[in-house]
Amino acid sequence: MPRSNPFRDPVPSWNRSASLLDVHKRGIPGLERMAHHEDSDEVDMVIVGAGAGGCTLAQRLARRGWRIVILESGPFWDPDRDWVSDEAGSHKLYWTATRVIDGEDPVELGKNNSGHGVGGSMVHYAGYAPRFHPSDFETHRRDGVGADWPISYADLKPHYEKVERELPVAGQNWPWGDPHSYPHAAHPLSGAAEIAWQGARKLGVRMRVGPVAITNGVFGNRPHCIYRGFCLQGCKVNAKASPLITHLPDAIEHGVEVRADSHVARVELDESGKCSGVSYFHAGREHFQRAAAVVVAGYSIESPRLLLNSTSQHFPNGLANNSDQVGRFVMVQGASQVAGRFPQLAHQYKAPPPEICSEQYYETNISRGFARGFSIQTVGPLPIGWAEHVLADGHWGHALREYMRDYNHWSTLGLLCELLPQPENRVRLAEELDSHGLPVARFTYSQCENDRANIAYGKHVLEQIWEAAEAQDTLTIDRYAHLVGGCRMGSSAETSVVDSDHRAWEIPNLFVCDGSVMPTQGSANPALTIMALASRFAQRLADKRVASGPSARARSSGEGALA
Amino acid sequence: MARSFRDAEHLPKRRSGPAADPEKLPRQRNGTTPQMHGRYPDFNVMEDAPHWDRVTRELLEKRVAEPPTCRLFAEREQLTLGALFDEILAQERDPRVPVLQMVDAKLYERKFDGFRYAQLPDDDRTMRIVARQLDGLSELGPEQRHERVRAFADGELAWEEIDSKLAWKVASRLAVSAFYSHPWAFNEIGFRGPAYPRGYMRRNMGPTGVEPDEPQEAFGPDPVQDVGS
Repeated sequence: MPRSNPFRDPVPSWNRSASLLDVHKRGIPGLERMAHHEDSDEVDMVIVGAGAGGCTLAQRLARRGWRIVILESGPFWDPDRDWVSDEAGSHKLYWTATRVIDGEDPVELGKNNSGHGVGGSMVHYAGYAPRFHPSDFETHRRDGVGADWPISYADLKPHYEKVERELPVAGQNWPWGDPHSYPHAAHPLSGAAEIAWQGARKLGVRMRVGPVAITNGVFGNRPHCIYRGFCLQGCKVNAKASPLITHLPDAIEHGVEVRADSHVARVELDESGKCSGVSYFHAGREHFQRAAAVVVAGYSIESPRLLLNSTSQHFPNGLANNSDQVGRFVMVQGASQVAGRFPQLAHQYKAPPPEICSEQYYETNISRGFARGFSIQTVGPLPIGWAEHVLADGHWGHALREYMRDYNHWSTLGLLCELLPQPENRVRLAEELDSHGLPVARFTYSQCENDRANIAYGKHVLEQIWEAAEAQDTLTIDRYAHLVGGCRMGSSAETSVVDSDHRAWEIPNLFVCDGSVMPTQGSANPALTIMALASRFAQRLADKRVASGPSARARSSGEGALA
Repeated sequence: MARSFRDAEHLPKRRSGPAADPEKLPRQRNGTTPQMHGRYPDFNVMEDAPHWDRVTRELLEKRVAEPPTCRLFAEREQLTLGALFDEILAQERDPRVPVLQMVDAKLYERKFDGFRYAQLPDDDRTMRIVARQLDGLSELGPEQRHERVRAFADGELAWEEIDSKLAWKVASRLAVSAFYSHPWAFNEIGFRGPAYPRGYMRRNMGPTGVEPDEPQEAFGPDPVQDVGS
């Protein structure tokens, strides 16, 4: 841990985003002064995707003098103008262009796991921000399953600590994995979470409050949470962290240009086999942005899709894909939820969905009969989410309406089961074309036996918690959460897409910086780890441990004084 | 005295038979609920609208005041799908949330949900195939209609064109997503809807967790038969 100083500025010196926001408006101020680069201007780096990976990377490197353009397929949000406190009205926050799903256990995409627009899917994630455990980086060595990362927990730890300050993360001292504390104290609990905790306590399941990336005190110009429960619909308060407010204000202040509504079609190569830039669609026209380095940061479906769509003579099967690794080992977490019914009114909508969490079952315990484990977290479905839950338990017609009328009596717990990486769980190109004439992604997913045993065990624990809490009835939905993998990092070109410095094995100036690089997923929500990886990658680049850097012109322009 | 909803004997899984008769629920006295029954007879979420931010308020006021008209489904498809959605949501009489029209608008505007099962076409075409397969549903008597939808829900229908189990997922998801986006449904279930910029203060369980303007749950159905009935 960094030595704590009670008099330190709450907003960290290396990222002033929270101070650059306006107290009375939610959107980023001063966008009319944002840098603008011409397509023909060779920037130091073009980043595809304005999400957790792309925005964090841009913020870090802009402070070191890099001239960066981020191209984002979706719009540039102004929360005051564009977001609503309404489930159906938040449809535009999700990647809703068609993707084809199949396999034995197809994964529904869209609102649950795919963002569209500046800020990415952190705009509509719940807000949980746990670290990975040290074991997550070496599951093959320890447990004989999954894969070993080419980096360790120790490599990411200083970046976890930095990013936790930047979001900032609120929670109780964390006893699991590498024990640590958080910059903000834990939020107060709702009745729905309290009753879940009572059940857990009786069963002997240890719980902790948090960790959530939601302000709980003074933090620059970002307000305190108002507990209205619409975290998954975009936080109109600016209390929940997303890169739109945690990294872009500082990035833009330091010269980053974010070009929204710009859908990248292909990464282009020059004769020497290096990337020359990217072709993208904006306002119905195709453009080409020149860049000295290209970073793909479109997450586990769109990053593989972009590489697979970028074919050339050298790479007939897609860029960086001569070992047939692009799009493989895509993972989701088993996220079944069990709700319990109580005599009192619990009002599960009256709080952020993320409240308490247990990582007691995170690590492998061979007596359970499967490798790896799961975590337990509260969730707070709003009416449409609750209706999907009731429907999944097999109720429609009058039975559905009856359970829906009973909404205020229920509290809901969810699992995050670590499902294992498998080569056949993969993104490929479908025959279908999108509105730009580009093949859409096809995502094939099937569980393995270990996955099924993990989910079944986890659901049994949730049932036992509700039984201990004396719930009068339970309802269960089987579902998935999160996406990682698809362009995993590794130690050899034969078994991975990028090396430990996020560089594609086969192209010297092509990088991937998002959740797709993860070789395993643990039982932790991935947002914090994606940001920590981007922070580490940025430091590697800026310290010139990786050969790519700002052009001589940028360094002499005076803007890039080393931070 | 009527029993309260503190016990759970009204819940479908606790009953061995079909769901309880909603006609015995309290009548709505303030605002509208679908079919005018619910748990919160004096709760009308739209009364909070002056406290909501402008964009949210305009969106929800429009959802109530300006129901769309069908542009995608043909007349015969409207009859069949209307009957299907009424069954899925137990909307047997007015006032109804206009689910058919809301689903039609979403699909006509091609606001799909971001995924498509490989075995199915896009959701608009899937729903038109469902309408063709269930043609005649609206002409059946109540029991036969319910039985046909039950067979659809339980995956007992074998259709040549598409996988009926996956088609049920699409149809039921579209139905509940439209219905439970409507403020009348918020009234029925006691959901306070948009809470911005005000937010919530009291969140604990029990009487001290209740805010003064919060919907009050009515007592449950009266088990005592009227004299002479």
